[in-house]
Amino acid sequence: MSSDLTELHDELRAVAREVLAAARRRGADGEPPSLDRQTLTASGWLGLEVPEALEGAGATLAEVAVVLHEMGRAPLRSGYLGSAVLGVGALNLLEPTGRRDDLLGQIASGAVRVAVGLPTGDDVVGPVAPCYSLEEDGRRLRLRGRAAFVPDATDADRLLLLARDPASTLVVVAAQPTDAGLRVAEQRVLDLTRNLGEIAAEGAEVAEGSVWRFAADPEASARRLMDRAALAIACDSLGLAEAMMEATVAYAGVRHQFGRPIGSFQAVQHACADMLVQVMVSRELVGTAVELLGCETPGSGRAVSMAKSHACAMAVDVVGKAMQLHGGIGYTWESGVHAYLKRAVLNRSLFGSPTAHRKRLGQRYLDGVSVLSED
Amino acid sequence: MTSPPPPDPEPFRAEVREWCRTHVPTGWRDAQTGVSDEEFVSFQKQWFGELREAGYAVPHWPLAWGGGLSVGEQIVLYQELAAHDAPRLVLAFVAIHHAASTLLAAGTDEQRARHLPAILDGEIWVQGFSEPDAGSDLASLRTAARREGDAYVVNGQKLWASGAKYAGWCLLLARTDPGAPKRHGISYFLLDMRSQGVEVRPIRQATGESHFSEIFLNDVEIPATHLIGPENGGWQVAQATLSAERGMTMLELAERLGHAGFTWLLDACRRPNAEGLRPIDDSLVLDRLAGFETEIAGLRAMCRSLAVRHETGHVGPADASVVKLYYSELLQRMTNFGADVAGLAGSTRIIKPMSSGWESGAWVLDFIGSWEWTIPGGTSEIQRTIIAERALQMPRA
Ligand SMILES: Cc1cc2nc3c(=O)[nH]c(=O)nc-3n(C[C@H](O)[C@H](O)[C@H](O)COP(=O)(O)OP(=O)(O)OC[C@H]3O[C@@H](n4cnc5c(N)ncnc54)[C@H](O)[C@@H]3O)c2cc1C
Repeated sequence: MSSDLTELHDELRAVAREVLAAARRRGADGEPPSLDRQTLTASGWLGLEVPEALEGAGATLAEVAVVLHEMGRAPLRSGYLGSAVLGVGALNLLEPTGRRDDLLGQIASGAVRVAVGLPTGDDVVGPVAPCYSLEEDGRRLRLRGRAAFVPDATDADRLLLLARDPASTLVVVAAQPTDAGLRVAEQRVLDLTRNLGEIAAEGAEVAEGSVWRFAADPEASARRLMDRAALAIACDSLGLAEAMMEATVAYAGVRHQFGRPIGSFQAVQHACADMLVQVMVSRELVGTAVELLGCETPGSGRAVSMAKSHACAMAVDVVGKAMQLHGGIGYTWESGVHAYLKRAVLNRSLFGSPTAHRKRLGQRYLDGVSVLSED
Repeated sequence: MTSPPPPDPEPFRAEVREWCRTHVPTGWRDAQTGVSDEEFVSFQKQWFGELREAGYAVPHWPLAWGGGLSVGEQIVLYQELAAHDAPRLVLAFVAIHHAASTLLAAGTDEQRARHLPAILDGEIWVQGFSEPDAGSDLASLRTAARREGDAYVVNGQKLWASGAKYAGWCLLLARTDPGAPKRHGISYFLLDMRSQGVEVRPIRQATGESHFSEIFLNDVEIPATHLIGPENGGWQVAQATLSAERGMTMLELAERLGHAGFTWLLDACRRPNAEGLRPIDDSLVLDRLAGFETEIAGLRAMCRSLAVRHETGHVGPADASVVKLYYSELLQRMTNFGADVAGLAGSTRIIKPMSSGWESGAWVLDFIGSWEWTIPGGTSEIQRTIIAERALQMPRA
């Protein structure tokens, strides 16, 4: 990476850290911690990957990854994942049309919020199996299907739903939550820092011009979109783990027992050292995946599955250890460690469990390809 | 400031590939299985000579001394040597890494001129640091060196010295000021192993081989010109050179684990067992394999990053410890799994090829041999303490 880019990322990171920490401090009691819409719009992060011609920043996945990482460090509800990561990600894969471009611009300006209906569980790996299908009904098209645990579904003004058309081609159906035959419902989860919902289509009538096509091979494009989703969660988990590691090290330096800081006990030191090693390994895997997926390199899917399975499992271990090393205070609601732990656990399952992603890797060994020649 | 783009490594990669195709001896693993010490030594020397001819033996040395490859080129070199399953430089290891970096960092011009070319000619070195009562607590070492005229007279005992029986020279730490605090009374010497009073007794190790030895030193005279670094400044010299060269050596080992190591493991899992079942058809086995591939990918990337940071001077205070700890424990987990998959048949492999890495496909022996990585060079426990204290700056005990 050139040093210009490094500088740009450092700057973006520093700003994001400040903005998000401030938003977390502002959080009102009893309310799920969230980043308000105004601050999010003002940050400019929504349009990072929107082309400059459409009032975006014309940046890349690498910059989005920086923001995602910071959002893991300071988990908040924000709508960023639905709109900027998945929404813009999906739209950028589609054939450029006026409607698509309008929507990209509206996302960048914060005017419209989007949710993308994709498989969100272990079905993200393997052959693309969208949650929706289009059926012909005379001269009309009707949409049927149901996606669950869709990020930011209930706040969305527009829905982008991955579907197979009657010819079995993958397409994206653009819809409004208020369309007849569509139902959007919040799914309450333990993790209050995420907004997840179900989008059910029960024969919803599809309006003219609402079936949008991929610019390149639809299967590969949809695959990339799901890989992007998985990788976004890996970035988040990496941030979660990193923040909890730092918090634990800091706490171990100030909390005294037996007349000395607990951080001087070897059991505590060694647990923290293990956290650092795991975080560093994940950082490499996530970094590699961001780089490969960002430039459409073959082998990016493998890198994503490695990053997702490692970082998301690692984060649960690290945050769990953080709770342990904080002692009783770590188990309080007040300390906030629980919020990280819940998010880490949710992240682990969202867009494919570690086992599912490893299964994808393992399939290559069964297929008998020479695993090393892919490098 | 923008750094210049790295030169395209592809032409160099093609060159190394071609060289490997024509030079890596075919069937060396079989040929090196069950060989005598003499055959092992002569094979190692011959392979070292071939690499030297090509300019690949000491790529990390400065150009003036016969090295001079960029970090990018070194990465490519180690990747290709691993990909072509080339033999490892076992015998020359301490000479080209520890001895050379010590000479380059702290040696006089005479010392460098005396030894660096000799190392290229095959001079073998051993590291004589540990003692019976000075292992993890190396600074408590007791071997004493007393100045007498133009020489130091050394008495004491070294333990676990790998390759001592083959070595011509020894990197020796000895106490020159018994009154000073532990770390301030140690000096670093270059000891000619043919000196009067040096006695080497091989020790049999867990694998049954005898690669490490005790070294007894009885009134051994070392000329004062063979002191390296300042008198009583030996601890600092040793610290500086111990972690400094770890970057590239770990890179080589990580690449080997990724190529030979993982390939053997896949092969082992594809081979039908006594009951005619292939382990790989078990989803739990497949899951573990994918986990190992992921961890190896992380290790390799971490080693490449570390090598690059070496070049730009941004190495973190415990980066070398992180890599050593992770590699050694991953090696142990992976060889343990290999032994598990190999089952009863795995225990029938009672010798492994010499000149190989720590993964040879003789899984039970490889597993046992993995402690050669978790114990020496600072145990895993000591590495964790270093990481906590230096990288995380946690309070000292
Ligand atoms: C295969 C092999 C090759 C070797 N080659 C060489 C060589 O070429 N040259 C050389 O000089 N030496 C060599 N050594 C020696 C090696 O460096 C030492 O064995 C190592 O430093 C550990 O010292 P020790 O054996 O005395 O164990 P000890 O220091 O007695 O350690 C025993 C156990 O106690 C733990 N322990 C000790 N202190 C602490 C602490 N402060 N905190 C937590 N845990 C602690 C250790 O981690 C270990 O688990 C080699 C050793 C092996 C096994």
